[in-house]
Amino acid sequence: MQRDVGSLPLSPALRARLLAAGFQTAQELLETGPCGLSKEIGISREEALEALQVVRQECAGDAAKTAGGSGSTRKCTALELLEEEQTQGFIITFCSALDNILGGGVQLTKITEICGAPGVGKTQLCMQLAVDVQIPECFGGVAGEAVFIDTEGSFMVDRAADIATACVRHCQLIAEAHQEEDHLQALETFSLESILSHIYYFRCRDYIELLAQVYLLPDFLSEHSKVRLVVIDGIAFPFRHDFEDLSLRTRLLNGLAQQLIIIANDHKSAVVLTNQMTTRFGQNQSMLVPALGESWGHAATVRLIFHWDNTQRLATLYKSPSQKESTIPYNITPQGFRDVQPPPVTQNAEGTEMNPRKRPRREEEK
Amino acid sequence: MATKKLRRAKLSQELCERLSRYQITTCQDFLCLSLLELMKVTGESYRNVQKLLRKVSLACAPKMQTAYEMKVRRSINPSAAFLPTSLHSLDKVLHGGIPCGSLTELTSPPGCGKTQFCITMSVLATLPVSMGGLDGAVIYIDTESAFSAERLIEIAGNRFPTYFDSDEKLFCMTRSIHLYRELTCDSVLKRIKSLEEEIISKKIKLIIIDSVASVVRKEFDTKLQGNLAERSNFLARGASLLKYVAEEFSIPVILTNQITTSLSNGLAIPADLVSPAHDLSLSEVTGASGSGKKESACVTAALGNTWSHSVNTRLILQYHDLLTRQIVIAKSPVAPFSTFFYTVEKSGLVLQDGKNLSNLPWEGTNPALQTIQVRNTALGNALLKTTDETPGDTPSP
Repeated sequence: MQRDVGSLPLSPALRARLLAAGFQTAQELLETGPCGLSKEIGISREEALEALQVVRQECAGDAAKTAGGSGSTRKCTALELLEEEQTQGFIITFCSALDNILGGGVQLTKITEICGAPGVGKTQLCMQLAVDVQIPECFGGVAGEAVFIDTEGSFMVDRAADIATACVRHCQLIAEAHQEEDHLQALETFSLESILSHIYYFRCRDYIELLAQVYLLPDFLSEHSKVRLVVIDGIAFPFRHDFEDLSLRTRLLNGLAQQLIIIANDHKSAVVLTNQMTTRFGQNQSMLVPALGESWGHAATVRLIFHWDNTQRLATLYKSPSQKESTIPYNITPQGFRDVQPPPVTQNAEGTEMNPRKRPRREEEK
Repeated sequence: MATKKLRRAKLSQELCERLSRYQITTCQDFLCLSLLELMKVTGESYRNVQKLLRKVSLACAPKMQTAYEMKVRRSINPSAAFLPTSLHSLDKVLHGGIPCGSLTELTSPPGCGKTQFCITMSVLATLPVSMGGLDGAVIYIDTESAFSAERLIEIAGNRFPTYFDSDEKLFCMTRSIHLYRELTCDSVLKRIKSLEEEIISKKIKLIIIDSVASVVRKEFDTKLQGNLAERSNFLARGASLLKYVAEEFSIPVILTNQITTSLSNGLAIPADLVSPAHDLSLSEVTGASGSGKKESACVTAALGNTWSHSVNTRLILQYHDLLTRQIVIAKSPVAPFSTFFYTVEKSGLVLQDGKNLSNLPWEGTNPALQTIQVRNTALGNALLKTTDETPGDTPSP
């Protein structure tokens, strides 16, 4: 109630007038009332009413904060957070080694960044995740939908269809092996058409379209509340040319990162970004480092770097708040993103919690 | 989209006038400002500014489509998704041929067959759809003056003798290939910008730029300070313009590239085969330079790392031995790493069956560093090899 008039989110002209008239606290404004305010400042009664409504809302928000209610800031204890984290799902990648080093898969409510050389499999992983997020809960998935924002034009529908078909087939094999009611029921709605219809695709041609799309994303996600994954394939590409003013670029990127964090938290979805690699010249050597500069490295919570070692593709967990740094090999097969060797097939006698990461039929696929 | 004026974004007239006093006239200017700046400039409250932002974003943002809609659209018109190259094994692995709507790059040492391939593709694009073509015209941007109309007629006549049985048909085909000779970076960029109108007026179905590398490397000497960044800028801008055109009209774009020498530790090529003084600026030496190991050179695609990100498909042509050469699919979103043998004959490129390797599904190498065999290496290998060469050899240095 004692809030200073200068800090209220009113239009600057109105604020200047209020200060010139001598108003100092929000309490004074509320006491004056709309008619008195309009006479004193010289604005219309409707404008005065609108201003007072804003003031009242602000004060209510403040009061709630000081009283310890939820309001717009989220306050909870670490125990509540632990419970939340433990029940949260992960989006599996179908490569069990990668899931292991990530601690279960791509985490919801966090931003994961994938950096890599060209052609190493970043878009393939993104397409795999867009399919995997839709796996029904009885198979170990999160049963969500996906938003795919493409800035490079590398999304191939046919390839996504192949990956989706392989995923459906995999779930069918599990259902056959275990013959459970809910598995079969889930399979009825989990088909190629339904998977593809729940991947919402946006093609952004430059950074302005990307910014505009991210501004509109919260509204879109409120309408499509089942979305659990937002993929931005190629966050580097639109920002790497046509930018003479690097400080503007840093500012826009930071703003983008903040909005994505808000989106990830509010809608309980995972945000996956792919980044390019750029050559940095040292004294007499050059190295490949992730693009977009040092400050961008702070934006993502989890950072994966994909690279080559002769003919083997490797994934390194470069930055993570909870997992150890490690490197694992992976492959891109006609079915999508997979492990290098088939993991050992364990006979799970209980069968209620089937792990779709294990693929028992690998040898026959040659 | 970015240069869309705010008037067309459905903002009120007085607001647009007020903003133009601060030099904010396009959506780009509007969206680049922070919320506080917007409040100051528009004179509106916080909530109203957010509403304005949403309005302007709606004017700029792309339309949503689901993947299913995209698939349905493609399956309605399957022939429009690819341009078959008439090299059947290659087409099979590529799921149809050169993809429409994305950039395909062709890299090779000099004299390996890039221009031959481009000329063949030009002929194919003019063929009717029933024969696997796109029934349209071709824009051929030639920066090396390597296009030969006589060779064009020779390939057409020898490859499709039954179709091109009369001179009339040949002339008709040659009329639909529009050749532009551009010799500087600026003119190439200007030509790319003018493509949109030409495509509509002349019903173009294929764009070929032969070659991007020659004009870029002539003008940007990457040893000079700042030139590397400018070069990447130019290439990225060109790539995004081409991608826009390719996707908008759903046509294939073929670009050709040259080779360069890349220095890296750990590869055991004798350095005297390829001169390490070539293009040192593109070196990607990893690890400490004082490691004591002899740095060896290898030949890879030119134009650097960023360019390798921009193209969607990369095909590498390289020498194998005295007669045969190889096509390698180095980067493709739909095809695994594969190699095919071919020779260049009167009818253009001809694949050699029986010696192809297309079942290496899980291998691959970094397309930006994939080593390419040049003629010297191939000759050297040919002299060392015995008469029975095993077909399973990928040219490893």
